Amino acid sequence: MMALPGLGIVKGMAVTLRRFFEPKATVMYPETPATIPPKFRGRLQLLYDEWGTLKCETCFQCAQACPIECIDMGGIDTKERYHVHWGAAETYGERRDESALRRSGRPVPDPAYERFATPDDLAAVDAILDEHDRDPARMLEILEATQDRYGYLPVAALKRIAHATGAWYAMIYGTASYYRHLRFEPPAGDGAGAPAGGGATAAGIPNETTYLAGLDGALGGAVAGRRPGRRD
Amino acid sequence: MTDILAAPKGAVWPRLLLARAAAADPTDLEAAIKAGAFDGLRKATAELGPVGTMAMLADARLRGRGGAGFPTAEKWRAAAAADADRRYVVANGYEADPAAFTDRTLLERDPYAVIEGTAIAAFAVGADEAFIAVRSEATAVVAALGKAIAEAEEAGFIGPDALGSGRDLVITLRPVQGAWMLGEETVLLKALEGKRGQPEQRPPYPTERGLFGRPTVVQNVQTLATVPWIVTNGAERFRAIGSSDSPGTILVQVRGARRSGVAEVPLGTPLRDVVALGGAPADGHALKAVLVGGPSGGILPADVLDTPYDFDALRAAGAHIGSGSVAVADERACVVDLGRILTRFCADEACGKTIPCRIGTRRLTEIGDRVATGRPRPTDLDLLADLSHDIVESGLCDHERLATLPFTSGMRYFRSELDDHILRSSCPAGVCHPIAVAAAAATR
Repeated sequence: MMALPGLGIVKGMAVTLRRFFEPKATVMYPETPATIPPKFRGRLQLLYDEWGTLKCETCFQCAQACPIECIDMGGIDTKERYHVHWGAAETYGERRDESALRRSGRPVPDPAYERFATPDDLAAVDAILDEHDRDPARMLEILEATQDRYGYLPVAALKRIAHATGAWYAMIYGTASYYRHLRFEPPAGDGAGAPAGGGATAAGIPNETTYLAGLDGALGGAVAGRRPGRRD
Repeated sequence: MTDILAAPKGAVWPRLLLARAAAADPTDLEAAIKAGAFDGLRKATAELGPVGTMAMLADARLRGRGGAGFPTAEKWRAAAAADADRRYVVANGYEADPAAFTDRTLLERDPYAVIEGTAIAAFAVGADEAFIAVRSEATAVVAALGKAIAEAEEAGFIGPDALGSGRDLVITLRPVQGAWMLGEETVLLKALEGKRGQPEQRPPYPTERGLFGRPTVVQNVQTLATVPWIVTNGAERFRAIGSSDSPGTILVQVRGARRSGVAEVPLGTPLRDVVALGGAPADGHALKAVLVGGPSGGILPADVLDTPYDFDALRAAGAHIGSGSVAVADERACVVDLGRILTRFCADEACGKTIPCRIGTRRLTEIGDRVATGRPRPTDLDLLADLSHDIVESGLCDHERLATLPFTSGMRYFRSELDDHILRSSCPAGVCHPIAVAAAAATR
């Protein structure tokens, strides 16, 4: 077919002219507010406070609430003692490389959980779970019994509990990280220098002990006999 | 065991809650029955019926002892009227305040009163399952209450076919621990459900959607222990005790200069008499302030000691009944120092669910620290007032609203002392020592 000189330009100008008279997609924001889909929540972003610390407390409330499960998190907490995660492995940074490996079909070591891949005798967890009917409503009792058995809450045990009760791992982690007496690492030594997030030691509950001592001081020596024995 | 303080000479303070406290073995069921235990439950099931029981409590004007003073009968009626397949009763004996031992004393000295009250509540609202939540750390309470529940079930007062009424009533003891916030009703319910202990928005109130989404009556153990007495003795006799709009008695933890202990005090007693239970201040020192309500309590000066000790009057004075603790400070105490210790505890114990609480109470603490360590800003008092107001207005539960009380009551009654700290960099009580040093450093 013979090329007609100038035909290309005409074709191109035709497209231009058609587009020129089409309705515009530009939104005159902010004069005209855009219509936003009801589930739109904006860009996900972790905020820093004025000291440059992440404000995120890894409470997983956002991950739990996310209707399409697009939020997930992973990492080691500020004391570098615990690896938390929620969501697919592919989506967070420090595991992205190995996820690529995993997709390649080769067996991949899991460094995030290696620390916790202890030969935990999970039969004990199963026994505890059966004892409590695998009922997520009795989660506190399950966690307390697990901690009594192991001295702390191993990740492997938490995963088993999540699997058996059907409760989200994130929820169990949320529960376990809330209560002061539940801990994720073995208690250090003989109670001296109790681990942060550890439980009540023989010396009492850390925050309450501080408060009571502070109160005794702040009341200006007005209190006789001090407080009654705290363990009744 | 905590000491029980005697009523002052000349005053006749009836004992409702601690009537059987002198028993040699509080878990001895036979002795307790001889002393009148479970009469109320018999009367409620056999004579009054659910509606009659609630009418009697409404007539008695019984209010919840947990701190807020909500009318008990209204709560029960709401739960009984809610449409549901199951209902629950939860007795809150958690007693979060580490310095108060009132609920623990009651549970230890007379567990049957609480069990009976819980049974009556369950019967009245139509619940067949009830929980009594206590502190795990209070091992004596857990032991006594566990034994008492077993004995009462053995004797047929509770359990399947309780008292031959054909209805089941399972009372379960649930020791919980691990957070200050567990004393708050929705948080306690979360803990009983095995979840993270964070408060829920209200409404819906627990009476509508509580434990496992079912209507739930959450009452302090003192309220429940009062119920059998009312049912047995009648509403009229109950109304004769205490003040007219909040009748009855309440347990108070007094921390005085000479004595500390738990006392049963009729509501409406002047604060002066409650403070007097702890004895006169140490030699050569004058009473300066009274801390009413525990860590989130108000700091009241000596000249409002005529305030009646009841829900509304204390609230108006800038304090609250709270944990039932009354602590006395003499003039060696500094209001700023006291306030920041209280606020710091509240901030440390915030569950972190809402921003006014998590950030707001933390900022309150920081302002307090600033003032106490000699680096105040001239605007700090305005900031305190503004911030407190915002926290109260936007708070989710009462924890953060009440956590503002130490500083707001301090500003209300001890303004000059705060001004001394901020404007003159001095601490009249001499507690905030670094102030002068810091001020000197600042001018250099």
